[in-house]
Amino acid sequence: MLNVSHLTKKYNRFKANDNISFIVNEGEIAVLAGPNGAGKSTAIKCIAGLLRFDGEIEICGFNNKSLEAKRVLGYIPEIPAPFELLTVWEHMEFIARAYRLENWKERAEELVRRMELTDKKDKLGKELSKGMQQKISICCALLIEPKLVLFDEPFVGLDPHAIKELKAMLFEMKEKGVTIIISTHMLDSVEEFWDKVFIMMDGRIEAERERKAVEKSGENLEELFFSITEKNRPEKEQEASS
Amino acid sequence: MNAIIYLLRKNVKNAIVDTIRHPMKLIVYAFIAASTVFAVVRGFFSTEEVGDLLDIRILYGVYLALLYFISIPIMLKGISTGSTFFSMGDVNNIFVAPISSKKILIYGIGRQLATSLFLVVCFSAYGSFAIRMFELSVADSIMLVVGIVLMLFMVQMMTLLLFCISSARPRRALYLKFVIYALPIYALGTVAVYMFSNGLTLENLYAAVSLKMLEYAPIVGWVHGLVFGFISGSTMDIVVYASLLVLSCVLSVVIFCLTKLDYYEDVLARAESYFEFRDNIRTGRVTDSDLMGSKKIKLRKMGINKGKGASAIFYKHLREGSRRSRFMFFNINTVVLLGVSSVIGLAMKSFFSAPYRVTVIYIAATVICAYIQFFFSAAGDWVKELNKPYIFLIPDSAVKKLIMAGATSIIKPFIDGAISFAFLWILVGGYLPDVIMCALVYGSFGCIYIASNILAQRIVGISGNRGVFITFYMGIMVVLMVPGIVAGIVLLSYLSGYLTVIAATIIGLPVLIWNIFISFMIFLMCKNLLNNIE
Repeated sequence: MLNVSHLTKKYNRFKANDNISFIVNEGEIAVLAGPNGAGKSTAIKCIAGLLRFDGEIEICGFNNKSLEAKRVLGYIPEIPAPFELLTVWEHMEFIARAYRLENWKERAEELVRRMELTDKKDKLGKELSKGMQQKISICCALLIEPKLVLFDEPFVGLDPHAIKELKAMLFEMKEKGVTIIISTHMLDSVEEFWDKVFIMMDGRIEAERERKAVEKSGENLEELFFSITEKNRPEKEQEASS
Repeated sequence: MNAIIYLLRKNVKNAIVDTIRHPMKLIVYAFIAASTVFAVVRGFFSTEEVGDLLDIRILYGVYLALLYFISIPIMLKGISTGSTFFSMGDVNNIFVAPISSKKILIYGIGRQLATSLFLVVCFSAYGSFAIRMFELSVADSIMLVVGIVLMLFMVQMMTLLLFCISSARPRRALYLKFVIYALPIYALGTVAVYMFSNGLTLENLYAAVSLKMLEYAPIVGWVHGLVFGFISGSTMDIVVYASLLVLSCVLSVVIFCLTKLDYYEDVLARAESYFEFRDNIRTGRVTDSDLMGSKKIKLRKMGINKGKGASAIFYKHLREGSRRSRFMFFNINTVVLLGVSSVIGLAMKSFFSAPYRVTVIYIAATVICAYIQFFFSAAGDWVKELNKPYIFLIPDSAVKKLIMAGATSIIKPFIDGAISFAFLWILVGGYLPDVIMCALVYGSFGCIYIASNILAQRIVGISGNRGVFITFYMGIMVVLMVPGIVAGIVLLSYLSGYLTVIAATIIGLPVLIWNIFISFMIFLMCKNLLNNIE
């Protein structure tokens, strides 16, 4: 489903992603975990086709920048970016038109209802709070019935009900065979549903685990996370202070 | 107070260190400083003859209009949102610190004053132009600059006063808005009454804009009176208007100190939006909220209703446009252009003799309006579209998306051109080919601006450094424009003596063809712009 091969993203000399490769299969929920600045969001943006990069990314067998790949890709950015002069419902209509969707209204109604935006359907994007704007982003991304969904820090800014509803949606999508990638630095927010986890540090994938293997071995994911992300901390702090 | 002094000291020091550490910044600052010094020195000490000097009364009118233009929008905004003395950093750190709110206010005003002083330096280059055009002394020219800075400062003070009076009192705020609106209406009314009673001539317009009565309007009139009192050597005017201004300042501070006002909440809201606005300007991500403020939008028509794939972007822009302005393409930009072209037409009517007069007016109006359009084009629909991920994600051809995203920005200048030049034609007459050609040429400059923007985005990158981007954008724009203009002038000189009465048409034809051709080529060449957001 998603095949990332030797992905390297450089900003001048700085490598935000350094030769990372991974595969996520149909119906799997993969988590890109790591501290701030580990390169999670950059990787997500590269997969979404928003950034230039070296390496190869394939979505459903198509190059991620191809129209075929775009048709099946849903992307929820970390910072919501609604159209300020479109209403909530017009966002749905715009996405439906831009992606040439048929019979979309019922699905849009359902998404809007689950995100508790029904009474805000006629509100302009600029009149909504950050959390509601984030809900619009989610509705827009899921309206196209994607086969791959990229969530960049999805739970930040959402209220408890929306978090609960989003988690339910994730399970439903997984059941339907949708592949989901979630970038987060809060492991506890994804502990109920992850299938694969990639722990990132300094642009590289330092560890990769599958749920079944972790459950079998009894390995503590949080301990693993901190053992990786904090291993060079004293040296780094020393470097910074000197 | 120690904390505030420490903060000021550190801010200045860190700003200097930061500039030194960023050579590009240093070069840009050095360039701006050198250009300003050069312009000032050239203006102040040049002995070169300028030709015919302009009537000083033009300066009276233009300066008064400028003062109104600076002050009224800020004061109106200030009533509802408070002052802009404070940054987000101040709000988050100083407001919550155990420092008296009065001291914090003094800090804010002090910093505002420093900003105003910095502006004196920046405006000084313009002061030197006045010396050359109106035969002013160096001191007069400096006074003109000081007047503008004084106006900026006074506006801040008045905003504070108005805010104190109207805070949390909507009815009072409404009355104050009427008072503020009354100021420019008083000025326009005075000029209109004078002209209608004495005749609609240019001479009467000059006489009307230099009427003493115009200086009676509070603040704006007083600043104008002080500046021109100095220029005309009237000690009485200087004393009276300076006293009135000082009194206003003292009064606003006293009222502020006496009012038991919790200004933090209102300043917080203003500081947040200002912080966001400044950040958006810095990163080139201007939003509709930045341009429209908190203006309430009435939703008359709903839905996008048309378009599939890339064309949905165009229809979305139409819907957004109808919400920005009820008349869609007819908005404040159109009104400004109508005003500018009309003023050019009326002012130049008396300078040039027939039969060449009208065609020269059209050329001048096209050049000036095209220059103004450059500023309007910075916030076009397609520029805003690049700030969101959707255009990059939509599964449609990149060229189609680029054209559809730019369509409204291309159409708008042609409509503005048609309206402005048709109106100019009604005012000054002229040959129809000139009118049509100028409207088309004006519209074609819109294509050039978009093409230059696209090319600059392609070279520097969408998320590249804004300073470098603007430098490239301006450079590319000049390079793209020159061939068409040169071709136009060459064609005119070749045909001179035959068709000079329609010079605007002759110059305009090669400009129009070139502008459209090169813009289209750039659209095609830069089709990959939407391949990634960088």
